[in-house]
Formats: sequence, C-alpha cells, structure tokens
Amino acid sequence: MGGHPFLADGVDFGDVILAVVLALVALVLTLVMTMLMVWFERKVVGRLQNRIGPNVAGPFGLLQTMADGMKLLFKEDLIPAKADKVLFVLAPFLAVVPAFLTFTVVPIAGDFSNGGSGSSTLPGFLGSREFLWQVADVPIGILFFLAMSSLAVYGIVLAGYGSGSKYPLISSVRATAQAISYEAALGLSLAAVFLVSGALSTNQIVLNQVAEGYGGFNFTRWNVVTTGLIPFIVFLIAATAELNRPPFDLVEAEQELVGGFHTEYSSFRFALFFLAEFMNTVTMGGIIVTLFFGGPSGPQLLPLGAFMGFIWFFLKLMVFLFIFVWFRATLPRVRYDQLMDLGWKVLIPISLAWLLMLGGLQLVRSGDLSFVDSTSADLVIVIALGLAIGLLGYAMLNAAIRTSRSERLAEEGLKLIAPKSQDSESLAGHQTGTTQGGH
Amino acid sequence: MAQYLPVLALLLLGSGFAAINLVVSKLVSPSRPTEEKLAPYECGIVPGREPPHRFPVRFYLIAMLFIIFDIEIVFLYPWAVANAGLGRFGLVAILIFSALVFESFIYLISKGALDWGTLQVNRRLSPMVNEDRTVESTVRKVGLVGRFEEVESLKDALIDGNAATDSVPEQDGAAA
Repeated sequence: MGGHPFLADGVDFGDVILAVVLALVALVLTLVMTMLMVWFERKVVGRLQNRIGPNVAGPFGLLQTMADGMKLLFKEDLIPAKADKVLFVLAPFLAVVPAFLTFTVVPIAGDFSNGGSGSSTLPGFLGSREFLWQVADVPIGILFFLAMSSLAVYGIVLAGYGSGSKYPLISSVRATAQAISYEAALGLSLAAVFLVSGALSTNQIVLNQVAEGYGGFNFTRWNVVTTGLIPFIVFLIAATAELNRPPFDLVEAEQELVGGFHTEYSSFRFALFFLAEFMNTVTMGGIIVTLFFGGPSGPQLLPLGAFMGFIWFFLKLMVFLFIFVWFRATLPRVRYDQLMDLGWKVLIPISLAWLLMLGGLQLVRSGDLSFVDSTSADLVIVIALGLAIGLLGYAMLNAAIRTSRSERLAEEGLKLIAPKSQDSESLAGHQTGTTQGGH
Repeated sequence: MAQYLPVLALLLLGSGFAAINLVVSKLVSPSRPTEEKLAPYECGIVPGREPPHRFPVRFYLIAMLFIIFDIEIVFLYPWAVANAGLGRFGLVAILIFSALVFESFIYLISKGALDWGTLQVNRRLSPMVNEDRTVESTVRKVGLVGRFEEVESLKDALIDGNAATDSVPEQDGAAA
C-alpha cells in the first residue's frame, strides 16, 4: 500500500517527532531551493539576455534573494482602502500553504537500486524507524498534488477579488479560466501515468520505473518511454500554464494588467506570492521527474546509499528547472485565444485519445485483448484501430471548428466581407474612397 | 490516516512561517498610510470607475465545461489504475463513456463555446490593405539590423564629400 512504514502500525510519541522533523526538513529545503531557484532564474535569464545577472550579494550573487526578502520585510505594508480586508489578508496564505504542501508527495532521495524500496532506517537508539525520503506518501499521492494545485488558484482569485482594484480582478478572472482549462489537460496526461503504474502513490510510481537488473537503472522503464512521450509533452505544457509561467503568463501580463493579481500587495504579503510562485515551479519540476523520469532512482555510482538518490533527483530536477527558465527567456507570450485553443482543442483531445490507445495496448500485452494468435499482430491491429478512431475524432473536431467559424462568419463576417469585396473592386477602380466598410 | 501526519505538520509549519514573517514585518516596517497610497494603483491615473462586477459570459461557460471534463477525469482515474485487472469489459465501458463525452465536446466546439476573441479572418480581405503587399514590403526596418550594405554605402558617400542623395543608389547597386 506504500506510505511511511513507521506510520503504518500505530503512532507513538517518537513517530510524531519524526513526522515533525520530516516536515521541518521539507520546510527548510523548500525555502532554500526556492531561494536558489530565484537566483538561478535571474542568473540564467541574465546570461540568455547577454547580461550578468545578480552578482553583488554573496558569492555569485547567491544571497540576492535573501537580500530582496529582507528588504521586503522592512517595507511598508499597505492594505488598500477599498480592499476586502479578510480576503486580502487570507489570500497570500492560500497561495503559499498549498505550495508548501504540494512538495510533500515528491520523493527526493532514497536507494532504489537492487530491489530497494527507497526507504531508510533510523539508527537503533532512535527507535529503528523505517521511513521514506519524502514528507508523506499518502495513498492518493498525485491526487493530493492535483488538489493542492487547485487550492492554489483560490489564492490568486481571492487576491484579485479582495484587492478592490480593476486590474488585479481582471487578472484573477483570467487566471481562473486558464488554470481550470489546463487542469483538464494536466489531469488527462496524468491518467496515462496511472495506467502504466497502476498506482497513485508517488513511491509506487517511482518503484514501478525501477528495472530489475542494471543496478536499478534502465531508462526504458521510465514513464516518459512507457507512456510514449505524448503525455509527458502535454504535461510539460500544461504544467507551464498551471504555473502561470511564460509563455503562458497572461495572469501577469504587465503591459495590460499593471502587475497582475498582486498589484495591490506590498511588503511581505507580496513576498509570499513570489515565494509561492517559485516554490510551485520547483515542486512541479520535482513532480515531472517523479512521474516521468524515475524520480530519485538511478545507479549507485558512488556508495552513498540514499544520498545518491538525492543527487540523481537533483540532476534531473535541474534539467526541468532550466527548461522552465529557458521557456521564459525564449518564448513570447501567447494571446488569450491561442492559450484557450491550445488547451481545449489540442491538448485535451490528444491526451484523451492517447490514453485510450495506451489502455488498449496494455490489455493486448497482458493477453486480455486479442484478435489473432500473435501478440505483435494484435498490437498492430490495436494501433491501426486507434489511429482510425483518432483520425475520425480529428475529422470531427476539424468539422466542428469549421462549423463554428462559418457560423461566426455568417453572424458578423458577412457584414464584414461582402461590402469589402465591393470596396476592393471600387478601390481598384479609382484608388480612393470609402475604406470604412471593414469596420 | 496516520500517513497524513507529516502533511498536517507541514501545514502548521508552513502557515506558521508565513504568519511569523508577517508579524515580524508588521513590527519592523513603517506605517505611514496616506489617501493616495491606499487608493487602487493604476499607474498614477486617478481611478475613475469601480472594478467591474460583470464579466464576459465565456468565463462562466469555461467554468461549467471544466466541471464536465473534471468529472470525466474523475471517472477515468479509477479505470486507469485498475485497467490491468478489468480487462476487455473496462476498455469497452471507458470507450463508450469517452465517446459520449467527446461527442458533447464536439457539439460545444461547433457551437463556438470555446471560441475566444475576435474572429481571425484573412487580413488581406480588408480594403485597407494593398492586394500585392508582402511581409517584406511593409515591415519597417528599425535601427541598423539588416541594413549594413545601405549604411556602408551611405558612409562611403559621406567620406567622399558628396553626400548627395543621388550617389547613394549607385553605390547600392554596385554593392549588390
């Protein structure tokens, strides 16, 4: 069933202490990682834009985030006169607490090689308690992560609503629509991982990606391979949108919305939103590593035990954090209709079709679904069937999009186009005249 | 439920961290509010209107559609986790279910429920735009990017002392 072995059979005082220690370590770790992530992002974006980036506070500017945090602590804290005081005060908590909690399900270390379950045991004088290298391995695992990322939306919505100001409100309404649109795609791409893992618990998902031989390392067991790349790509795009990071940062489109939903926030309340944003980025990187890239599992190159797992996790995590920063430095912001079209008309149908196909293929491999004698022929048949159904679905989707377009054209476009063609004829005639018809 | 104990601990610690920092900030930061500081921030423009209380109906529509899809996902998860044990029955059931949801999805799209923004029509259709314009003919060149030849020839012309405009096209042609 998974979960911490020391919590499985009754809870005594020592178990509670260990649980608190785990939480405390996670708290410190998330804060330090967030601090470093802010520095990393500023440094990398700086280099990508041919600047140096922060380099004054501490070695290589490492303490810049700390300095900024201290500065914010000493700043005047304003609550706007028109704000809804309760919501205004509550919102930063609703943003930052789920950000902390999401991190609980990410396994960050552990020895998964040679059949290890990733758990470690405390020395005898501490009660020989066996624990996993994650804050909690709750049975619902990834569902907990989804629940927390949904809760985090409340922070944004209430911040915008409670500010009593125009632009934060618009920003928060945008944020809601964006978050729930991409949550559907996120959820569907996750289902593919559950399909191949047969579990929701993150520890089980990591264990399922560990191979028997090869010292526990075989990248063909990683879910990015077993689910066939598409769910990973959908998840990466949807995760970027969930995080409100560029190119999907319409929530904070400075040119349109002043500063986004936290325009009215100052002092440490603003810092909490900032903290939550980067903490979510780090956690999302960790979730991607866990779900698709085997988490902390990897060969024991050095005899470090559970710490080797942390090194693997950290290396994999850095790749995705760099990709997030890279996105930010490279891609221009999308338009709102492009954002919605991508989420609803591309990502959701693709991930749904892929999921059903994977389900069929899994049944063929386990022998539950067979049309002819050989398994490989069955696989080909199922893939062909899947492709046929997929093409049918694509044709229907295309027809639907064209129908809606032609209906809208009929509604507003006929007025737009019919006089226009006349206009351009008359324009060709005498090169002047009535050009107002188009509007 | 014992597995949630560390989560509870982190919940308390995380809220505590935020609360303590807010209290510290309260203690060490100045508080000199003025009417201007407490007014809604709109880049220096005095706010004239109240924030809107009405939003385009599309936002509400998206919220409703999301519920449909979230429910679909809620039904998909148990199937996904248990697929290996359910066999053919599970696959057929989920295919029928997905077909029904997909059909309503198609209906929604054809009704334009997921269309945002203005209709993207071919800009060429506008009478304002010249029929034979191309991207190259209308893009204004800013700065020196892509203009080195022109600039070089201008420079040569200036150095020669006869900065007359008619010498420039000749040099340009020679360079080409």
